[in-house]
Amino acid sequence: MVERLSPLEPEFHVGSHGNFEHGVEILLTETRPGSIVQLAAWPGEEKKLIAAIRAVTGLALPDGAGGGLSEGVKAVFGFAPGKFTVSDEAEGLAHAFAKAVTPAIGTVTDLSHGRTAIRIAGPKAEWVLAKFFAIDFALPAFPVGAGRSTVHHDVFAQIQRTGTDQFDIYVFRSFARSFWKALCHASEEVGYEVQ
Amino acid sequence: MLITCPYCGPRDVIEFTYQGDGNRERPDPASQNFEAWNAYVYDRLNPAGDHNELWQHSGGCRAHLRVVRNTLTHEISSVAFARGNHAPAARRKSEDKP
Amino acid sequence: MSPRRTDTGGRIDRLKTIRFTFDGVAYTGHAGDTLASALLAKGVTLFGRSFKYHRPRGLLTAGVEEPNALVTVLKGEVREPNLPATMVEIHDGLVAVSQNRFPSLAWDVNAINQLGGKVLSAGFYYKTFMGPVVGPLKGTRFWMFCEHFIRRAAGLGRAGSAKDPARYERMNAFCDVLVVGSGPAGLMAAKAAADQGARVILADLEPRFGGSANWSGEIIDGAPATEWTRRIVTQLEARDNVRLLPRTTVWGYYDNNTLAALERVSDHKEQPAKGEPRHRYWAIRARSVVIAAGAFERPLVFPGNDRPGVMLAHAAERYANEFGVLPGERIALFTNNDSAYRAAVALKKAGAAVVAIADVRSDLSAEMRKLAAEAEAEVLAGYAVVATEGGKALSGIKVQRFDMVTGTLSGDARSIHADCLLMSGGWSPTIHLASQAGAKAEWSAARQAFLPPSPTLNSPVQHWIGAGAFTGSFSTAEAIAEGRAGGIAATGGTAAPTTTPTVQAVPGNPDPAPVFEIRAKGKSFVDFQHDVTSEDVRLAHREGFVSVEHLKRYTTLGMATDQGKSSNVPGLSIMAEALGKPIPEVGTTRFRPPFAPVSIGSLAAERFGDLKPERLTPMHDWHTTNGATMYSAGLWYRPMIYGHAGETVEQAYVREARATRESAGIVDVSTLGKIAVQGPDAAAFLDRVYTNMFSTLAVGKARYGLMLREDGFAFDDGTTWRLGEQDFLMTTTTANAGKVMQHLEYFLDVIWPELKVHVTSVTDEWAGAAIGGPKAREILASCVTGTAVDNATLPFMGIVHGEIAGAPVMICRLSFSGEMAFEVYSGAGHGTHVWEALIEAGKPFGLVTYGLEALGTMRIEKGHVTGAEIDGRTTARDLHLDWMLSKKKPFIGSAMMDREGLVASDRLELVGLIALDNQPLSGGAHIVEELEEANPHGSIGHITACCYSPALGKHIALALVEGGKARHGSRAHVSDPLRNRFGPVEIVSNHFYDPEGTRMHG
Repeated sequence: MVERLSPLEPEFHVGSHGNFEHGVEILLTETRPGSIVQLAAWPGEEKKLIAAIRAVTGLALPDGAGGGLSEGVKAVFGFAPGKFTVSDEAEGLAHAFAKAVTPAIGTVTDLSHGRTAIRIAGPKAEWVLAKFFAIDFALPAFPVGAGRSTVHHDVFAQIQRTGTDQFDIYVFRSFARSFWKALCHASEEVGYEVQ
Repeated sequence: MLITCPYCGPRDVIEFTYQGDGNRERPDPASQNFEAWNAYVYDRLNPAGDHNELWQHSGGCRAHLRVVRNTLTHEISSVAFARGNHAPAARRKSEDKP
Repeated sequence: MSPRRTDTGGRIDRLKTIRFTFDGVAYTGHAGDTLASALLAKGVTLFGRSFKYHRPRGLLTAGVEEPNALVTVLKGEVREPNLPATMVEIHDGLVAVSQNRFPSLAWDVNAINQLGGKVLSAGFYYKTFMGPVVGPLKGTRFWMFCEHFIRRAAGLGRAGSAKDPARYERMNAFCDVLVVGSGPAGLMAAKAAADQGARVILADLEPRFGGSANWSGEIIDGAPATEWTRRIVTQLEARDNVRLLPRTTVWGYYDNNTLAALERVSDHKEQPAKGEPRHRYWAIRARSVVIAAGAFERPLVFPGNDRPGVMLAHAAERYANEFGVLPGERIALFTNNDSAYRAAVALKKAGAAVVAIADVRSDLSAEMRKLAAEAEAEVLAGYAVVATEGGKALSGIKVQRFDMVTGTLSGDARSIHADCLLMSGGWSPTIHLASQAGAKAEWSAARQAFLPPSPTLNSPVQHWIGAGAFTGSFSTAEAIAEGRAGGIAATGGTAAPTTTPTVQAVPGNPDPAPVFEIRAKGKSFVDFQHDVTSEDVRLAHREGFVSVEHLKRYTTLGMATDQGKSSNVPGLSIMAEALGKPIPEVGTTRFRPPFAPVSIGSLAAERFGDLKPERLTPMHDWHTTNGATMYSAGLWYRPMIYGHAGETVEQAYVREARATRESAGIVDVSTLGKIAVQGPDAAAFLDRVYTNMFSTLAVGKARYGLMLREDGFAFDDGTTWRLGEQDFLMTTTTANAGKVMQHLEYFLDVIWPELKVHVTSVTDEWAGAAIGGPKAREILASCVTGTAVDNATLPFMGIVHGEIAGAPVMICRLSFSGEMAFEVYSGAGHGTHVWEALIEAGKPFGLVTYGLEALGTMRIEKGHVTGAEIDGRTTARDLHLDWMLSKKKPFIGSAMMDREGLVASDRLELVGLIALDNQPLSGGAHIVEELEEANPHGSIGHITACCYSPALGKHIALALVEGGKARHGSRAHVSDPLRNRFGPVEIVSNHFYDPEGTRMHG
């Protein structure tokens, strides 16, 4: 297989940056999942779609809008009514779902190239993200595993909380470098490390 | 201003796009009733008080929402998905027409 | 004598000396000083020149409401004008300069305006600059002639033009309770709410929390108020459900309890820390708000009330107690209420001589007389100040007997020697935020002030509770009780009875006498910053301005940068008196955001310069490293040309277009909007969305489609590819991708929810390269594996799947350039890999890369339309696309497209133009039948796009022209007076080049 080029490449500088002399409070990285797939159920078929997700990935989605979970290399969360984003370290997830999600249940859209996954972690992750998005990042309002659809200016983002102080942000690939630069910039005051 | 999206919860208005007067009803696609088409495309209610509006949560789940918003107090008294909820029964009175 | 620093007292750190300059003179101050307190401590009394009359002005206040002492702070090349010196914290290296004076603050040539006082009254400019009725300067031309000189003389600080290198940020915050103001009321509210477990934000515009507790000299819970404050703040700091925001002005109150605040993060530092912003804009969404914003003391209006050395009473108390600065040695007071007596005692304690207290009230309480005695001040009950003396500093005052019922003066004026006069005209609650939130203020005759309505009258979309002086409860004991109750109520709780902290305070009746103005000879200022006098207000009334809103605009009362914080109520009272109406009937203007000036940088925040969002195609880096000049198209960046050394833009695109038509060219088309349209009803949906049929399209084929808007006008065009029975890939124009997506979503959600169709933006999933030209097929054949690309396998509008250099690709044979052409789509992450493989494969065939200019040139030659022609005013017929309007089915826009005006014969239609003078044409130029350069008129249309056509060897254009086809073969002229381009053209078909399409069909 041909390796995929990261859109962040020229702006991805491994190491510590910004005001890091007193320790870094933000870790930034690109998770580069092999597969990012969007699944969408027809009205009334959501339960079957959730079952298909479980069958293919082994992930059992919790109830409720924006519910989700992540386990190691796989993650799933709801981002809109009847719609879910699934990611996996391995490639080929869209192909696997093509069989499990029949036309009667819904549709499968492969976005493995089209979305870039950026992970922000650390004690100041909520603080830095609050500079971009008008949503409440506090743990009670945004529990671990949950997903949110939101926007920073024109940059659409789906955000999954994958840890107490860790978030995975899925952005359009064309915006990824611009958003990454802004994220680094916003992290400077607390010190950040790119891994 | 906040709109409580039925899926995403309360969100800032910057995430939404106004999609017009929610009282309009589209004529049957094959209809040649020009009056009805004209009313649908051009006529808008502009009430002082509760107004049926369409908003899209364009910076979120992208669902279209039916929002009842008071144009005097800005109070939003209800929000529902547009999908599965029809336009309210026509409230267009003769005096509403220009 | 002059003002001086006291030996003890205040919140400043006398061990820490700070060096700064003001108007080029070096000064020292102490940590904790403002520019105002530090300069006052050095005996500076002259801080600025007034707006209109250039009168000398000193400090009126000690806080955000300061109207006089406005300065400009210089940071490198950057100048920030109009900052109240009372809000500028000094730091080493601070450079501040005074404003509105020439050549210097002490010697200002425009001070001559003072002599023209009668002339420069309200409405002067409106009346004078109407201009003569005839002549070269008639009407507004006279104003335009004079404006330059007037603007130079009048005004505030000068804005700089240097680029501001400072960092500004936006921050979103959510909380249960936002507390505005950190005086005793605010502190108690924050503590009570935090004790309930609520998420609390406490914001105060001052660097120190505590508000009046910092200078009241009161005892709270047995400790000095400052100690008590420190104790509460320490408790709050220790809680993780509380965020403390000092130096943060809450300036806007918007719907649904969304509040805007400005945090001045690093203005008080010599250098911000690495990555630290200068200002942070806070967008706070609070469940409820406790407004504990306090109150502003009001000046009294009397002749000479603006002389340096005349100051608000509490401001002097603040300077003495908070900053350890005495504003004078011999201090006189002038008041209509009890609060000034506390100031007298405080200043006496701090070491000043209090020479007299003139009180408009003849009956004074025993308590006040006792306080006056404590201050060793002579009490002049039933007296008023009628004049002040001195130049750039006060030397004395004149007092006269005053009857506050009739407002008349009597007896001889008596002179009193004083270097400082403190005045108090009562207090106005800081109701700005409540007013912004829609609350209608209520006049309190007792307090002689507008009070916020009770919380039960809140609008349905805002929820706030008031506490302390903001509600008109001026005592600290009340503030503490209301703060606690408000904090609990804001969390939805109910207050259990408890012992609230005890307060030892100087006694005083909160109600002032209803006296705002002493009418005597001389200029009495109402609005200090805009130089509006009481006579101006009366003049406005005489000239017929009866509405307070009109009064405000005519006199500009309250319209300066302080927005009338100190002048609002005195101005209203004078207007009310002139109208013969009580104040509540005259009404008050509604306060609008911002409460205090806000830096534009904080509003722009990160959407500026390098940080504004931009979209890059997968091959972006290849373009920039291979000589492309990039062009911003919306948020996208696209190659404009790949210029060779020494080439002009025109030479480059002509070379690129010519090479493409002669051999082959390749262009990045990744920016085209791409939407996955999936589901069992996808084909039926497309039939309704497009004017032509898509349900009949075979799998593995593409079709060109046109969309109309509901009103029948053309909307967008593009090709849509059928990848599977229920799986379409729609392409849109780059500019309309977002709009088309929203259009589709709207119809699926609102109009046809029964259709089983999902639409997803996949623009970013695919990298697109369009390769066209006589050699294009050979190039593909040499590098594509897994499929043939011959005419049989890949006919016009056919789609095949294969690989290039190991990466999967999807190839569709379609043409925008008019040549035999193919669009090669690959996963975006493989985009550069595939692009480079195509470039490599093309080398033996003379393949060139081309940019937007050549793309545009070839499309003009072919007469294809883009957004320049689909401009929202054109129909399918106008663009000769009526062949695409299916008669077999209704579609969006079909019902409205045949309206009378949309089929009229005089509509502008698409045509081609050829320049007959062989000169370049210009976009936007008008087309006329008869050319008259001196008097351009008679437009019959305009140019939408133009270029030099290498295929024709001529300057050509597309245009929208009345009559359209009927004019083919006729002559007209371009008329472009803006760019001075006039010349003859021939009107021809828009299909300039290969109209039969033999080249692309091969």
